[in-house]
Amino acid sequence: MRRVLLAAGAVAAVAGVAIAGAFARTAATPGVTSRLVTIGGTFPLSGPASSYAPIPVGMKAYFSYVNARKGPDGLRGVGGRQIVFKYYDDGYNPANTVQRTRQLVEQDHVFALVGGLGTEPQEAVVAYANQQKVPQIYVSSGATEWGANHDKYPWTIGWQPDYQAEAALYGRYIVSNLPNAKIGVIYQNDSYGKDYIAGLEAGLGPAHKSQIVATRGFEVTDTSVLSQVIDLRKAGVDTLMIFGTPSPTIRTYATMAKIGWKPANIFVNSVSGTATFLGIATSLAGAAEVNDSITTYYTKDPANPAWDNDAGMKLYRQIMAKYVPSGDAKNGLYLYGMAKAYTFVQALRAAGKNPTRESLMNAVLNMNDKTNPFLLPGVVTKTGKNDYFPISQQRLLRWNNGLFTPFGSLVDTRPKGL
Amino acid sequence: MTPRLASVAVRAAAVAAVAALVVLLPHAFDDFLNYRFAFVGIYFIAIIGLNVLTGYNGQISLGHGAFLAFGAYTTAILSTNYGVGEYWTIPIAGVVTGLFGLAFGLPALRLSGVYLALATFGLAVSIVLVAKRFEGFTGGGGGKTLTLPSSPFGALSTNEWLSYLTWGVAGLMFVAAWLLTRGRLGRSLRAVREAPIAAVSSGLSLARYKTLAFGIAAAYAGVAGSLLAIAVAYVNPDTFPVSLSILLLTGAVLGGLGSLEGMLFGALFIEFVPKWAESIDNRAPSVIYGLILLGALFVIPSGASGLLQRLAPSLKSAGERLYSRHNSRVQA
Repeated sequence: MRRVLLAAGAVAAVAGVAIAGAFARTAATPGVTSRLVTIGGTFPLSGPASSYAPIPVGMKAYFSYVNARKGPDGLRGVGGRQIVFKYYDDGYNPANTVQRTRQLVEQDHVFALVGGLGTEPQEAVVAYANQQKVPQIYVSSGATEWGANHDKYPWTIGWQPDYQAEAALYGRYIVSNLPNAKIGVIYQNDSYGKDYIAGLEAGLGPAHKSQIVATRGFEVTDTSVLSQVIDLRKAGVDTLMIFGTPSPTIRTYATMAKIGWKPANIFVNSVSGTATFLGIATSLAGAAEVNDSITTYYTKDPANPAWDNDAGMKLYRQIMAKYVPSGDAKNGLYLYGMAKAYTFVQALRAAGKNPTRESLMNAVLNMNDKTNPFLLPGVVTKTGKNDYFPISQQRLLRWNNGLFTPFGSLVDTRPKGL
Repeated sequence: MTPRLASVAVRAAAVAAVAALVVLLPHAFDDFLNYRFAFVGIYFIAIIGLNVLTGYNGQISLGHGAFLAFGAYTTAILSTNYGVGEYWTIPIAGVVTGLFGLAFGLPALRLSGVYLALATFGLAVSIVLVAKRFEGFTGGGGGKTLTLPSSPFGALSTNEWLSYLTWGVAGLMFVAAWLLTRGRLGRSLRAVREAPIAAVSSGLSLARYKTLAFGIAAAYAGVAGSLLAIAVAYVNPDTFPVSLSILLLTGAVLGGLGSLEGMLFGALFIEFVPKWAESIDNRAPSVIYGLILLGALFVIPSGASGLLQRLAPSLKSAGERLYSRHNSRVQA
């Protein structure tokens, strides 16, 4: 009898807790209190794409800077709220991205997902974010879909110029400057790499598409690209396009050096064609192999002393010295993170005194900002109700002995009609 | 009350208490904890099946994650490509994966011990590559996104609903396994494990029971995989790494091979301990997890159910003391 009583007591206790729990839930905007705004994202801090790890660090550093400083309204942070940025490692594995994103939304109750990295990882949570009406903004990937699919996924938006536009720029450059090029492509065999190929073909146009004599893909987890590089060399390629994430890109340069092959022209995508990664490639493959590589960019380059007296660069270095003293300030990915965090802070300020997820999206889609100190002069961050392409201007750069030299002018690659 | 009746009453009360907890706890949980609780249910189903194969029938599987993947892809492909309602895909996934398990069990008959373990390990390794190869069908590395179901009961959140759904199915699967293993089939499975020669000489077909055990285990994994696809609303090859198969075997061993109730402990262990280890020290989560695992195996070498059995005599004598005291009081 005593046991039955005990069991009944236990059940009653559980029921009591259950009722208390049910009352504890509130209907306020998740992640926003009078003092805090909590946002989150997933990034590859480990695994094949872990070289991107400085991005969230740069973002967090900028948020710390904003949190410590009085804004235009005389309050610290944004409207008196401190920005709390939680980020988790997904190892560039979409299965982890899904679990970590659900943790951010359902356990950490973030206000918005900001800057989450990777095309396939972020694709895995698009449907979820939109179903739950959680802003998934400024995705760290230039896949064209972030801007193009807004009818279906209105809560999702990218940030940087899209990959198709970037590759189209290379294609048009080849048509006008290298009309007889025999083009070969080595690409990451996922939607990221394929986006670049689609853009390249569009830029070359139907008349010149046939100049692509060979395309060879690799898996992001592959540890060698030797067979792909040998195939491309055999195909007589003189203009090589490298469309991969940083580690395989560096491996490609090293492999080419090993077999003693240097195509006349090398184009490397902007994601991997940063001073840091090309610097590593140089140390592995030699300067001669990497020199004359062409890429594009839209942010200032912290490795280039030409920016030493620039106010934005000074601010960047000051924030790095204070909040990331152990980080290599020459790594452009920290600056990329800060530039993105700057855009988010602008949007959050514009989202009103008591931001909601709706008011944040309205602000994100109503932007015309020329003040971002970390972007190239003249680059505007601009959106509209149907324009989900915040940054779309870029410039071609050529790498030589550790330095980028811009050539040509700032090109606007915003899709036609926007 | 006779002691036997009393022990039945206690057991029934325990089952009722677990059921009451399953029904009531979701309301007390943080929403995300419900999601993890649903995962405990999914692992519970998977390792009940694994237990039939390994615990009852003595065949080791290091590739159980592959059967989960099979079930999960069945649900993902049926619901996204063919518009089948996701709940209908649960039994379909169970049957289809069960058939796949039977088919795999046939060649596995020729292997035993460490050779069988290697063959199943190969299954776990290859499923990732196969899923990536047939991209048009499986979505490749990018995977397949499903629609996260919303609760058919307005009062429940999605995660509460997922928790009820998985535990409802887990309850059914538990009862089914209990019925299957307590009678003739269970005896035959155990006979094949303990004394194959004696089993054959008394007329049992080794091939039949070994294959059947694979089929049952795979069907359970298929149902678990299907529920996993529904709960996560996303399936890609990396959802089923080789480590998942090893994790499941760990859960079955820690729960106690040959015991169905013990699997509850195993499922709780594999859902919570690795992540808990990570929260203790995120630089070396696998080291901490490994230490906990070693410690657990050292303390309870025969799993949670073994521990209960070891404690049973003292519990029983305590119960009997209580009972006789009660009786003497009644008589007095």
